[in-house]
Amino acid sequence: MEMQLSDVGTVRKIVLAGRLDTTGVDHVETKFGAAIVPGGKATVVDLTQVSFLASMGIRMLITTTRALSRKGAKLAIYGAMPGVMEVIETTALSDIIPVAGTESEAIAIVTG
Amino acid sequence: MQTEQEHTQVVTFARNIDVALESRLHCLELVDGFGIGRRHIVGRAGASIGRTEPAQIILTDSEVSRNHCRLAIEGGQLMVTDLKSTNGTFVDGVRVEGPTPLPVGAVLRVGRQSLKHEWRTHREIQQSEELDRDLEKANSYVQALLPAMNAEGPIRSDWVYQPCAKLGGDAFGYGVLSDTKFAVYLIDVSGHGAGAAMHSVAVMNLLRQRTFLPNTDLTQPAQVLTTLNSMFPMDINAGMYFTMWYGVYDKITRRLDFASAGHHPAYLVPADRGAAAPLRTRNGMIGTMPETTYRADSAEVPPGASLYLFSDGVFEIVTIDGVQWGLGDFLPALVKPPVEGLSEAKRLLAEVNRIARPGGLDDDFSLVVLTFD
Repeated sequence: MEMQLSDVGTVRKIVLAGRLDTTGVDHVETKFGAAIVPGGKATVVDLTQVSFLASMGIRMLITTTRALSRKGAKLAIYGAMPGVMEVIETTALSDIIPVAGTESEAIAIVTG
Repeated sequence: MQTEQEHTQVVTFARNIDVALESRLHCLELVDGFGIGRRHIVGRAGASIGRTEPAQIILTDSEVSRNHCRLAIEGGQLMVTDLKSTNGTFVDGVRVEGPTPLPVGAVLRVGRQSLKHEWRTHREIQQSEELDRDLEKANSYVQALLPAMNAEGPIRSDWVYQPCAKLGGDAFGYGVLSDTKFAVYLIDVSGHGAGAAMHSVAVMNLLRQRTFLPNTDLTQPAQVLTTLNSMFPMDINAGMYFTMWYGVYDKITRRLDFASAGHHPAYLVPADRGAAAPLRTRNGMIGTMPETTYRADSAEVPPGASLYLFSDGVFEIVTIDGVQWGLGDFLPALVKPPVEGLSEAKRLLAEVNRIARPGGLDDDFSLVVLTFD
């Protein structure tokens, strides 16, 4: 599991690549939280290169989203592959974290 | 004088034990691959690594050669030599050939298996083995809470419970609520291991006790999920949430009321194995959203139909060809005809094991099959 961090204007952008399973989450969880929560900025997370999303990955996304929202900022995920989208729908994750199709839609959600 | 001598002897004896316990061994511990956490100790004679015997450290991975590499201890250092393996031997990502040092903390990769070189005391190894034994005991406790299988009667039951680590985060149960009502449920706590298992046991015990909370009718799936959601918020449970499927069958009306929380469907397969009808309601996972009211639905159970209720570890496998399966890939196996002499749950376990890549399944495998007269 790889992670890349950048900024799009005032919005923080995180790109995740690989499998978001127990091992993958172990590798990135601390960096992921550290890249997002302390800054307290609107954040979008690119899932286009995430091939698999398991419960530990969902947990990481939820806890980071909630920590960020306590600082008054929003997080949205976008670009999920069909297999990952199926998991997002089964778990009704979009009720907790906004799910967008593209980066610009995600940015609109977190800055709106 | 006698006492002093005895005292000295006792102290010396204790010191010898301390030295033995504190002396260190070269260990290779699996940090990625099949069977994470497994420890191999490399003694003074060294060890060979390969896919099969006569290798001393056997790693069942098609990408590991039969004689892949050899480890030797020279001058206190662990050295690794590639034995002209097909896919190479790597130390911290760099391919190696001739004798190369493998420092403490470095990761040796062969095939899909990554092994970290640790230098552990006997004491640490003993403690970790004791912990493994404790986990075995805890697993027996969880197993003891699972319901009995019934091959006879108006509702026949069958299941497989196979946690992937020593302790799983899955749990399930079923049983009569009254003369006419029969309940069945399955929960899947995020993660596995001791924390998740304790969480699932807490929920299981609550449901087993039936006393539960006032204002919760156990025959009403929506109420049960709503109450559990209010009792187990993830913020006070180390960030753990769980998915759940809960159903109540009425023997008189043949109606199955059910509600699911972030869980994939359970499937109702008629006696003629014609199709698998998905049973699911869209609700959030338990513990993730406070103050949620859950929605339920119901279905009619035809005579002879079977209900298949399972965790995602049953279908989220990686196949021998390296393909990640989803629910849709598993469904055809559900409706296949039963196999003589093999229970339905065991048949499906065998099917999944046959297709999955070697090294054990990646997640807890829990599957319950109920067949209704």
